[in-house]
Amino acid sequence: MPPRVAIVGSGLGGLVAYATLRHGGLLAPGEIAVFGDRGHPAAAWRPRAEAIRQRLMRSESEGHCAPTSFPGLAAREALRRRDLAPLVLSVCDRYRPTVPDFLRHVDELRERSGWDESLVPGRVERVRTVDGGFEIDGHGPFRHVLLAPGHPGLARPPHLERDPRAVHAYEPHEYAASVAVVGAGMAAATEWLNALAAGAEVVSVRRREPARRPLNVARHLFTKRGLAAFHASPRAGRAALLRGFGEPSYPPGRSWDAPVEQAVREGRFRVEPEPNGVAQVICATGFKRGFRHDALLARLVAEHGLDTEGRWIVLADDSTVPALTDRTRTLSLAGVPAQWAFPAADTLVGMKVAARHFRRRVESCPTR
Amino acid sequence: MSYTLRGRLETRLAAALVPFLVAAALSPVLHKWWPLELVGLMLAIGLALDAGLYHRLLPYQPGWLALPQGLLELGLTMAAARALELNAPLRPALALFAGAWLLLQLLAHAGLPLLRLSWPDDGGELGRAGSTLRVAAPVALLAVLGIAWAVEPPTVRLAAGEHRGPLVLDHAQTLVGEPGAVVRGGIVITADDVTVRNVTVIGGRHGIEVQSAESVELEEVVVEGAELDGIHVRRGQVEIRDCRVRSLPGAFTQGIDISFAFDLRPSLVERCTVVGGLEGIVTHFAHALIRDNRVRNTELRAITMTEMSMGRIEDNDVAGAVGVGIFCGDYSHCEIDGNAVADVAPDLSSGDRQRQGVAILSHFGAEAELRGNEIVRSPGGIAASWDATIEHE
Repeated sequence: MPPRVAIVGSGLGGLVAYATLRHGGLLAPGEIAVFGDRGHPAAAWRPRAEAIRQRLMRSESEGHCAPTSFPGLAAREALRRRDLAPLVLSVCDRYRPTVPDFLRHVDELRERSGWDESLVPGRVERVRTVDGGFEIDGHGPFRHVLLAPGHPGLARPPHLERDPRAVHAYEPHEYAASVAVVGAGMAAATEWLNALAAGAEVVSVRRREPARRPLNVARHLFTKRGLAAFHASPRAGRAALLRGFGEPSYPPGRSWDAPVEQAVREGRFRVEPEPNGVAQVICATGFKRGFRHDALLARLVAEHGLDTEGRWIVLADDSTVPALTDRTRTLSLAGVPAQWAFPAADTLVGMKVAARHFRRRVESCPTR
Repeated sequence: MSYTLRGRLETRLAAALVPFLVAAALSPVLHKWWPLELVGLMLAIGLALDAGLYHRLLPYQPGWLALPQGLLELGLTMAAARALELNAPLRPALALFAGAWLLLQLLAHAGLPLLRLSWPDDGGELGRAGSTLRVAAPVALLAVLGIAWAVEPPTVRLAAGEHRGPLVLDHAQTLVGEPGAVVRGGIVITADDVTVRNVTVIGGRHGIEVQSAESVELEEVVVEGAELDGIHVRRGQVEIRDCRVRSLPGAFTQGIDISFAFDLRPSLVERCTVVGGLEGIVTHFAHALIRDNRVRNTELRAITMTEMSMGRIEDNDVAGAVGVGIFCGDYSHCEIDGNAVADVAPDLSSGDRQRQGVAILSHFGAEAELRGNEIVRSPGGIAASWDATIEHE
């Protein structure tokens, strides 16, 4: 029997959804098709982390791809090292998994879940409704489809597009003697420290001061209680809230502040409105925002007349597309395009929330 | 974790299920309702705090906060248990609370996230199971507590002042003395499930006599000047805590005597102070745990476990005995751990070589296992005689 459930996107969001569907034997590998142009779920994420020399995850113990939140990465590390320290740090919200630990976990889950058996190589161009569900580039029909296309591309300030000094933080690079870092989020803060450690003089170019918080958004917005007010807000208000959540931020702590303070005293770090005469400009400006930058989503919206608000596709609270979801079929979004339902949708926890909702739809479908 | 109010309540109720079942199993075994009442109280206080305090103050709750929350709930539960006179013994009550708290943590951090994928996202809500729980749990709890309340032995107050004895307690009850309540002439207990608390008994043939009764608790009783035994238990099972027994000097008396109860559950003598008499605490043909007691100035032996008794003698403080400190005799099996025995004087007048200041004596086929006892100024040291053995660990 051909697969009736499909995941579009073979990145971390796809893996989270796949593992969630596989949990408890709900679906076998042969019942799920994963469409994607990369075989390894971390193939897109890993080079970006390597580019900014990221050593620790911003997420905490629950920032993993497994379907159940327990055991988290802290419990796994504690078990592996036979050391309670990760658990103690975790209950104090001070645990940050290392990037190698996270990648090891991704490798294990990929292996254990049967991911490769379900993989259909290739970039998906089009998803359209047909009798019995959805057709994906001629494959299908699939009753239930989850789209996890990931970020639509790297964002660069327009005036730096053609600047030969400019490189994006998520592209491989070394550090010149003088470096301007454009942006003020987590990647920018990481690049300040990297460039300072490499002996560079650093200019931070930013329009506003970054917020200091451990996670991308406030903690309570990760769960039902915090989301209640968000979901209850009117459309324009919700879009405004989402724009606010997108402000740059990075975690508080001496490990971030001390090197910068030291460099300020030495005259090697300053904040300026423009890069001016530096040798290298690093654009720590994240990703392009909005469904219009993603060819697959833009086409989906255009062909099906989907409801949108600003740069977001309007979703139901469970991350489904209301116009294309009913009792017998589901179209869900996960990852960054699902922010309308869950502000931190681009985090691993956010991907899990979308995946669990999707699983619930699949479970309850009478003709699954 | 960021709980919704419903999530908090449902998680609390789910975590209370196992302690509730444990308490429901314990209560008939112990012949006491306090386990059920205590779990009910814990749950009620927890739910009240959830709804009235935690939900308002804690939109997000880090894991470490469980510890101060647990201490707050423990304090309130114990205070409420005291105010409502649940009569729960401290250590078991603390153990029950700690077990329930630990289970709640295990469920919240591991069990429920494993059982229900969306439990963290749903703010601790349990879906349909939670709805059932919210309806069924209070009904079940009220029903059980109501039954417990209705069938619990009555509490009788003994007013301050002197009361003429012997006072005969021949049905289940809790006798609580007001400060200054004194019974002259003794108390006789012949019924199961009797508790006597905070009463002073003066005189009588025996101060408190327990005859063929089980689940008897004697707490904070003071017994003085009995003609024979301060506390005299025959064919009975008792738990004696925090008592003070002073025997008449020179009389043929014993502080606490528990005898002929080998087929019954073990008796307990804990945190008592026993002064004077021939023997301080003695068991014949009984199971017993004798711990944390102070025994002083006995004329024959301070603590005796004999006539095929079995049990533990641990962490007692024995001093000023004449002849023998701790005695394990007549085919008894005794575990003697962590006791401090000091100043056991030789009984020079007896001429008995086994009574020359022996701190611990195993006698006539008895088997004693010793661990970590401290012996000071007792010339006879540790001895075994008449086919008895002593094993040091």
